[in-house]
Parts: sequence; structure tokens; C-alpha cells
Amino acid sequence: MTRKFCCYFLTRSSSPGRLTVLLAMSGFDKLDADFYQSSFSVDDQNQGGGGYSNTDVQYSNPYGQYDYSQPMGYSAAPGIMQPQQPYTGQIFQPTPAFTPASTQSMYSSSFEDEPPLLEELGINFDHIWQKTLTVLHPLKAADGSIMNETDLAGPMVFCLAFGATLLFTGKIQFGYVYGISAIGCLGMYCLLNLMSMTGVSFGCVASVLGYCLLPMIILSSFGVLFSLQGMLGIILTAAIIGWCSFSASKIIISALAMDGQQLLVAYPCALLYGVFALISVF
Amino acid sequence: MEYPVQSGFRQQPEVRMRGAPVDPGDPRLLFDDTSAGGIGHRQALLSDPVSNLAMVYGSSLASHGREMMDQNLDRFIPISKLKYYFAVDTVYVGKKLGLLVFPYMHDNWEVSYQQDTPVAPRFDINAPDLYIPVMGFITYILVAGLALGTQNRFSPEILGIQASSALVWLIIEVLAVLLSLYLVTVNTDLTTIDLVAFSGYKYVGMIVGVIAGLLFGRMGYHLSLLWCCVSIFVFTIRTLRLKILSEAAAEGRLVRGAKNQLRMYLTMAIAAAQPVFMYWLTFHLVR
Repeated sequence: MTRKFCCYFLTRSSSPGRLTVLLAMSGFDKLDADFYQSSFSVDDQNQGGGGYSNTDVQYSNPYGQYDYSQPMGYSAAPGIMQPQQPYTGQIFQPTPAFTPASTQSMYSSSFEDEPPLLEELGINFDHIWQKTLTVLHPLKAADGSIMNETDLAGPMVFCLAFGATLLFTGKIQFGYVYGISAIGCLGMYCLLNLMSMTGVSFGCVASVLGYCLLPMIILSSFGVLFSLQGMLGIILTAAIIGWCSFSASKIIISALAMDGQQLLVAYPCALLYGVFALISVF
Repeated sequence: MEYPVQSGFRQQPEVRMRGAPVDPGDPRLLFDDTSAGGIGHRQALLSDPVSNLAMVYGSSLASHGREMMDQNLDRFIPISKLKYYFAVDTVYVGKKLGLLVFPYMHDNWEVSYQQDTPVAPRFDINAPDLYIPVMGFITYILVAGLALGTQNRFSPEILGIQASSALVWLIIEVLAVLLSLYLVTVNTDLTTIDLVAFSGYKYVGMIVGVIAGLLFGRMGYHLSLLWCCVSIFVFTIRTLRLKILSEAAAEGRLVRGAKNQLRMYLTMAIAAAQPVFMYWLTFHLVR
């Protein structure tokens, strides 16, 4: 087996990519036995960065299960994956313990068994709807675990909808919307990391702030019907800014278990949504 | 062998081998196949380990970079020290804001300690914090934008100009105070962050002044700014007196000596700089 490898290597490959791969692969045949018992845990692996890849991991947890594994970040990864060492089988295998849901068990290579597109993208409409309802009922207590899924699909939709309603009034300001959301999310991320005991990931902050943009869409759609610069518009604007920041602070407080700081979190949220309101009104 | 998608990374669609006639249970068969030949559709198979490898390497690089950034960031900005200044709650902020506007009734200005470390601001109203200065700064910029907007002098660049000029004046003030503290050779436990906090408290008065000016015109602006200037003056003197002056002088007893006099003048100079800055940074906003 190994000889065949070497022969193949000498005769076929010339690119360094294949060289490293084949060097790595040479370890495989020794490790057949523990292929499917690897302890590589996908949960720890990729939490801090890309939002959409988290949802796949999180979606498999039953709803309501408290999972505060988010701050772990990349720290688990480098210890396992050093590219200089010959590859073990760990990278290419999920752990059997990781996939409780039957729909996400080993995917075979055939086309019919591929996961549905939405599931693969991590867009879970039910959860999106749950979170939207949480935002729309500001007086109802929030569940602390709902923001464990870093879901950026919903916020993206809301940003696009906000930009679209602004478009109806003749303001083509998608760039401002995205820019202000990015800067605001960055500021809130720094502030929340400094204020809370546990840290918070950027995806979580972006997700919460994006979901709570929903009432602002209502404001800008009113702006299509009548001008918001009168007294009624000012009152409506103030009420909606209060609504947005109240629900954002409520969700953040319940997710991070910060006591006695709701108004302190609500104030920077109110500043951020105030800037969005400025864009809608003027 | 097959490469299931569930490795936590978002693998490219071509990783799933569509229609590749591979026996799913036998890893060795794969390698035999590739070594035997068949370059065409086997290319997809062979690129999978490479792309996986690349992805894993890239992610380990990313995590390396992130660790390095965290370490270096901690060298320049002491995150744990900063966390102390943000350990506030709503009650503290409310009381502190009241104190900034009306410091005349408060008697005990000493910061309480707990085994040599200062108590968190949450538990001691006299401790400096950074939440109010940071929020005050951002609110000042937004209120300045609002004020200029009502006079039709607004453009997005103005926000940047206001922000950078206020920031520069803050830095200049903190550096000047640090320099004068060094020259007077005061042994104090005032850190740089403490000075930033104390210098940042004047933004509250500035915001009150500008909003009063927006609502009530120039007369409202001048009256409220005068009130806030005096309040900040008293607040600063009472807070810094305990930090800069010696024990005896801080208790109010008259202690003669050049050193104490110099420190007294220094405290008064720092306190007098606050109203000057407050007026300088707001007078052009209210017409």
C-alpha cells in the first residue's frame, strides 16, 4: 500500500499541493482503525468568525439548550491541525457524537442524500420567526439562549428591507445603512466586551442589532406615506427608537446575564438607532 | 472513503462528490483508484484533500493571527484595567450624572478601597469610570451634528471634523495635566485612564448646554453653560484635591509651604481648564 503511494508520487504528482497531501495521506492507512473515533470536536472549532458556518453547528442542538461555547474561538483548532505534521484522520471526520439529528448524519456522496439548501446554509425559518417575534413583543421576557445562534441571514434581510423602504422615498442610501451598521456593531462589540463578565462574539452582537432593526423598517415605511418632519413624525421616531433599543437591550441583557445595566446597554443602542432614524427622517 | 461535509467549515459544493462511484465504506479503495489512473473525474476527488488542507491551514493561520493580535492589543491597551472602568450599573450612572450637575450637597469625596485595590465604580460613587466619558463624547458628536443640522450647516464630514477636534483637545489636555503633574513631582495614584475619565466628564455639561441652546436659544445656552461650568469646576476641585494635595491640606487645614501651595495652584488650574474647553468646543454650535 505504501509502496503504491510512493510509486504514484514519483510518477504522477509534481505540484507541492499534491506532495503535501500525499505525504499526509500516507498516514491514513495506519489510522483506519480510529477513523470514526476521532475526538475532533466541531463545536469548539469555528465559533468566532464566520457567522453562517456557526448556524450549522448550533442548529443541530435542540432549541433551548444553553450553549455558551461561543467565546472559545479558534483556540481549539491550532493544537489539532498543524499542517506540517502528517494528517490524522481527524480533520475529515465529524464525531459521531456531534450529530444528534438524523438529518445531519453522514452524507453519502450521492446527490439525493445531500442536505436541503436552506439547512446547509443555516437558514432556519422557524428560528428567524421566533427571534422576530421576540423583537416585536418588547414587553415579553426574552429567552437567553436564542442568541446563541449567530444568524446573519435575518439581519441581512432586514437591512435590505430598510434600504428598500428608503428607496421608495427616493433615497438611495444602502451604503450608509451598511456602513453605519458595521461601525455601530463594532462599537457595541467593544463596549459589551468591556462591560460584561463573559465576552461576546461579534456575530452575536451583529445578529441582535440586526434583528432589532425591524421596527425601524416600520418607521421608514411610514416615511413613504407621510413626511416625518412634523410633530407626529418626531413622536413616532422617538417611540420607535425607544422600541428598538429596548428590545435590543432586553435580548443582550438576558443573553449575557448583566444585571442592573439594561439602561446602560439601551443608551448606545438608542444612539445607533437614532442615526438610522436620522437617515430615514432627513 | 468519503468526505462528509460536517467538519464545521463551509466546504465548497464540489467537495461533495456528485456521482463519483466510490464505495463509501472503504478508504483504501479511494487511494487505489487515484493511483491507478483516471485523471478526468478523479481530479475532483484529488482536489478535495487539497482544498481541505488549504482550508484547515488557512483557518489555523487565521487563529494564529487572532492570537497574535490579542496579545499585541493587550500590550497597548490593557483590557483588564479597562474593564474596571466599565463595571458600572444604572444607579451609579444616574447618581454620577446628578453629581456632575449638582456637586454641592455631597460631602464624602474619598474613593473607598478594599485591600489596596480601589472598589469598582458600581459600589463607590466617587470612583472614576469610563462609561460616562465615552458615551458623553459620542453623544456630544451626535448633538453637534444635530445642532449644525438645524442651522443647515450639516454634512457628514462635519461629524468627522467635530469628532477629531474634540478628541485632539482631550488628548492635549490629558498630556498637559500629565506634564504638569510630573513637573510638580506629585506622588499620586492618578493613572492616565483616571485623567481621561476626569477630563471626559465635562462632555456632560457641554451636552446639557447645547441642548438648552437648541431648545431655548442663546440665552438658554449661556445660562445652562454657566451653571455646568461652575459645577464642573467645583466637582473637579473636590475630586482632585484628595488625589493631588497632601493629607493635611486635603482635610482643609491650612498647611503652609511652597509645595502645598504649588499643588493647590495646579489643582485650580486643572479645574479652570474645564470651563474654558467647554466653552471653546460649543460656542460655534449655537447661533
